[in-house]
Amino acid sequence: MTSPNGTRPLDDIRVADFSWFGAGPIAGRTLADFGADVIRIESEAKVDGLRHGEPVKPGKTGLNVCAYFNNYNADKRSFLLNMAVEGSREVAMRLIERSDIFLSNLTPRVIDRWGLTYEELCEVKPDIIAAYSPMQGLWGPHRDFLGFGAVLTPTTGISHLSGDPDRRPVGVGTNYPDYAVNPGHTVVAILAALRHRRRTGQGQRVELAQIESVAATMGPSLLDYTANGVNQTRKGNKSSWMFPHGIYRCADDPSGRERWIAIAVGDDAQWESLCAVAEGAEFAANDQFATLLGRRRHEGDLNAAISSWTASFDAASLAIHLQSVGVAAALVQDAEDMCEHDEHLAERGFYEYLDHPETDISLYDGPTVKLHDTPGYLAAPAPLFGEHTFEVATEILDYTPEEVAELTASGVLS
Amino acid sequence: MTQTALDGVRILDLTSEMGWYAGKLLADLGADVIKVEPPGGDPARGRAPYWQGSPGRETSLRFWYFNANKRSVTADLAQFDGRWLLGELIKTADIVIESWTAAERAELAERGVDPDAYMQDQPALTWVSITGFGLDGPRAGWQVTDLIAQAAAGIANLAGYPDGSPMRIAGNQAYIVAGISAAQGALLALLRAEATGQGQHVETSMQEALSICQETSHLQWDFQGASRQRVGEQYRIPGIGTYETQDGFIYSMVGIPGFGAPWSEVVRWMDEDGMAEDLTEPPNAETFENFNLRILLDPDEQARHAPVLDRAQEVLTRFYASKSTMELYEGGQGRRLLIGQVATPADIGDSKHFAAREWWLELKQPTTLGQDDAQLKFPGPPYRLSETPTSIRRPAPRIGEHNQEVWVGEVGIPAEDLIAFAGEGAI
Repeated sequence: MTSPNGTRPLDDIRVADFSWFGAGPIAGRTLADFGADVIRIESEAKVDGLRHGEPVKPGKTGLNVCAYFNNYNADKRSFLLNMAVEGSREVAMRLIERSDIFLSNLTPRVIDRWGLTYEELCEVKPDIIAAYSPMQGLWGPHRDFLGFGAVLTPTTGISHLSGDPDRRPVGVGTNYPDYAVNPGHTVVAILAALRHRRRTGQGQRVELAQIESVAATMGPSLLDYTANGVNQTRKGNKSSWMFPHGIYRCADDPSGRERWIAIAVGDDAQWESLCAVAEGAEFAANDQFATLLGRRRHEGDLNAAISSWTASFDAASLAIHLQSVGVAAALVQDAEDMCEHDEHLAERGFYEYLDHPETDISLYDGPTVKLHDTPGYLAAPAPLFGEHTFEVATEILDYTPEEVAELTASGVLS
Repeated sequence: MTQTALDGVRILDLTSEMGWYAGKLLADLGADVIKVEPPGGDPARGRAPYWQGSPGRETSLRFWYFNANKRSVTADLAQFDGRWLLGELIKTADIVIESWTAAERAELAERGVDPDAYMQDQPALTWVSITGFGLDGPRAGWQVTDLIAQAAAGIANLAGYPDGSPMRIAGNQAYIVAGISAAQGALLALLRAEATGQGQHVETSMQEALSICQETSHLQWDFQGASRQRVGEQYRIPGIGTYETQDGFIYSMVGIPGFGAPWSEVVRWMDEDGMAEDLTEPPNAETFENFNLRILLDPDEQARHAPVLDRAQEVLTRFYASKSTMELYEGGQGRRLLIGQVATPADIGDSKHFAAREWWLELKQPTTLGQDDAQLKFPGPPYRLSETPTSIRRPAPRIGEHNQEVWVGEVGIPAEDLIAFAGEGAI
């Protein structure tokens, strides 16, 4: 897919991407989707953990075959630069001088050690937009604390507030904040800063403390404490005003795979529609459930009755049936559903399949927002480790081939 | 006064709860965001939790949090005059954001509230549609809520206890992620519109935006044909998971190769407190020198080390249970061990780190309860911009609070006309 006019909103933007793992590189991926030239800094001395991660293409080994890394780095260029070697900082500064955006989720210690503070970047590029997203920020008593999304989910209240009230906190099963919340906020801030720069010529520092970025999504629960002194706790899949509101077991599929359906009923009209679909079920004729108040007061019985009704249904068909009469419902999809059976996602062409030299045709997330006239797209799969080092060094940084050879021999470009 | 990043950008926010966050992000960055509500107010104004626990349309903490910095006007889009007023207001706007259902969208278009028509008249206009499943495709007409989106996006399946049901992540995260996606799209379109004079239609599908939070689940399917299922907090590997402390819980993630201190540091810590038991003795001590996640993700290695792993789990569980959450969080992180507090809202409200960083804001919010404004310790922003800081400049509006100011003062509706519109119920 190409844009009708061949342009994307960030076509004139270059990003020096010093980030790694999830949250930082995903922000760079979004910028790349919308046209930015993203130079991903990598090094043999500290290979991105996701290049060593899972899943790998069966039968393949090496640094280029992990989909976890590849998905977040499509359409970027990989440039090897070992910041521990003397002479490397000069190369880094030359790249920053020729970039619009600096991106990093390195710890504050490493930023200091490598000489990549905002003030230092401004010496070579006064209007740089420098985005830092360390775990807990660039200052404060916990500034050196380490973690991944799996550590942020608990520290921001999400783990405490998710799950069954009668059981221990369970977490959310992934490094949730790394994927949409933190990189997404980072991109919003960068785009706002870019607009300011276009109007005034002034760059700035963007600091995203990941713990604050996630806490900002939990505003109502935090306010309930700071305003009322109420310390909320988890309440499973319940809602305060929708009844029923839950996830219910359906018939297993022929292979024994558990199937579940989510149902949310927001008013009496939807309840009546649900009852019409469930004609003959005990709950549909039970006056106790006819009103919101009745459904709220007897929520336990209601959920049990719905579970016993859904138990014999095919979850996907039931969701389609309920939606056809205006009841909010969906199959709880797993990866197989998302990739193979979701005809809606397929028709919209959300997933992109790109041909990569080592992993062949592989799945990538498409852009997560759709611009109708200048859509984002992935022009290339993930780069091989160091694939563009020579190209970037000569074409962007204007080193001669001889200089590149020297920098490679001295370990700077490694 | 400091300049803001979105100085001079006017945004009309016609969204319901599922779209509130987009307008909040842009308003906090400095845009002039005007909520356009039906005369009775946004139906979600009454959602919990409430100031002093008192339910009502002017006491919702949820509404306040997501709508501070916005102004409010009313217009009844079911009436001709309400639609005409909206049309006049759109002429002053750079961006319109709505989260209509497919049925609402079709009905409004029939009555002339048609994004394509506005964009044709006003080429620089950006129109943002926040939807559950997108504007086209077989499920474009589906109803959506946060729960439904989390189910359809492949993430509820990964959350929860393996012996229980799939689970919704707290905090209406589908609405949050859709809001972030929409704000990105609005800004990308704005950058282009300001450069070229060409606005465009921007579309967020909540299902798609949230689906990237599946982590590697879909990638694993693509490569290996296996669907990842929820594992809860199963302790396959000691040191990874949720542990009970003296006064709460921690999440522990120690032994990640190349990240933080190795497992041997945990043993050293327990030993200093005299609680390492036999983990410092052969053959256990040697095992922990090379003990890390990569080794232990290999099932053969797990089986080979099973007795040591079980023993380490017991000893570690006892150690963690003997200490307070804060001792483990700060003490562990001091040793570069990836330990996180399972924080409650109170822990965050009272956190010295958040306080030292001056994250919390102060906001006076008028309320219908009593004479006094609510004095709120208000959650801060997701990011800090050094030259164009975000700010909360005004509390959340009452229904139609800015009717006079906007309709008469800014759109130029004669005051007498507005009185007539109010009389017929169009505003």
